[in-house]
Amino acid sequence: MVFALRMYILPLLLAVAIHALAALALVRGFNPEAITTKVIKPQIVQSKLIVLEPKRSKTKPKPIPKPMLTPAPVVQPKPEPKPLPKPEPKPKAEPAKPKVDAAAKRKAALKKKQEQEAQAKAERLQALADQSFMDALDDEQAMLDEVADASDAAVDAAAAQSFRMGIYQAVVGNWSRPPSARQGMQVTLLVELVPTGDVVSVSIVDSSGNGAFDRSAQSAVNKVGQFVVPTESELFERHFRKFTLLFKPEDLLR
Amino acid sequence: MSEQLSVWELVVNASLLVQVVMGLLALASVVSWMMIFQRWFFLNRVARNVDEFEDHFWSGIDLRALYNELDGKDDLTGIESMFVAGFKEYSRMAEQPNADADAIMQAVQRATRVTLNREEGRLEATLPFLATVGSTSPYVGLFGTVWGIMNSFRGLANMTQATLASVAPGISEALVATAMGLFAAIPAVIGYNRFSARVEVLMKRYEAFSDEFISILHRAAHSRGKSNTPGSPQ
Repeated sequence: MVFALRMYILPLLLAVAIHALAALALVRGFNPEAITTKVIKPQIVQSKLIVLEPKRSKTKPKPIPKPMLTPAPVVQPKPEPKPLPKPEPKPKAEPAKPKVDAAAKRKAALKKKQEQEAQAKAERLQALADQSFMDALDDEQAMLDEVADASDAAVDAAAAQSFRMGIYQAVVGNWSRPPSARQGMQVTLLVELVPTGDVVSVSIVDSSGNGAFDRSAQSAVNKVGQFVVPTESELFERHFRKFTLLFKPEDLLR
Repeated sequence: MSEQLSVWELVVNASLLVQVVMGLLALASVVSWMMIFQRWFFLNRVARNVDEFEDHFWSGIDLRALYNELDGKDDLTGIESMFVAGFKEYSRMAEQPNADADAIMQAVQRATRVTLNREEGRLEATLPFLATVGSTSPYVGLFGTVWGIMNSFRGLANMTQATLASVAPGISEALVATAMGLFAAIPAVIGYNRFSARVEVLMKRYEAFSDEFISILHRAAHSRGKSNTPGSPQ
């Protein structure tokens, strides 16, 4: 018998070793990676140009004439040329030598003014082009922001919805049905939370007409005490700082 | 609601019955692997011994010398003990002056047959256990799984909002039982098939040897008048 037992020692050790290896491999290998759900914002497929062009034409005429004319120093030369042409014809008739000089001077001045004017015009055009380009960029940015905001809002809403569902389930789970509860009863509660999720106050906004039912809903919320709320403060402030809870446990009432 | 489920957590969090089933299966797996190794070593050793003994036997050695050599040995392997039993019976019968050859041969045949049966039993020991583990542990594991899934669905019935997350851990932990059942069963079935085939081969060799040995003794018994001891096999 001792001999027979001795025969089993090595096999037993080998068997245990195999199982230990298998268990180790299993514990090491069986680690399903936590699946992180990436919220992919939808790519903007909207036809940007079609949306932008009417906007650009709308915005273009407004800012260009006004701001360009008033603040730009380039505009001042415009009224100046008026007095100039008047004296010009007169000296033209008198071909006096010193006046030629003056006329040349004036001509030069005129030329200069014209040049200035042309330059101003070019500048204005340039500015105008810049302006319209910037406007277009602004518009595009605004639109992108708008779309991003919209998708952000959608993601937020989905997150908020899941939290709201959790809150509702927590309340239903802690609710004890009063005997007088009937199908179709509903009560709207105003719940105030602090960022930790602790209930600060519960008040009845819209009663069901049945005091016991109202109280049971109120005490269910108080019994939960602390809800699971989003950690992002923005989301919390927007949806959970103060929210109404429509308590309508149809599925529980028979 | 843990994000990451490890097998260990699944096992620890399983219900009591499922845990019992898992423990049973783990035990069955360890024991069946032990049996597999033990059978493996044992059958290897027996096959080596049979080779050695047959070589020795057919090398022209005197049978009485061989008998004397083996008789004192403590642990005789199958084929050796068969030879010893047969030869011992033959010597005893042959010592009686009035025993006729047929009576001697009947006694020798009985003795070798008994030893052959006992040796078959030794070769096949623990194989029934492997067969049992191989055929039942999948069912045992399945039982654990069905029980676990039953429980997790019953828990689902009490919930207002049925989500996959509320049943998935239960089903996962229940399926661990099936996995363990298969883990225990597959090596056991393979081991059983392999070893029973090897036992069959060994038994064929035993039988062939015992037939040859008996025919040698038969020849010796019928020529007993001339010399009282059988000579070396030719």
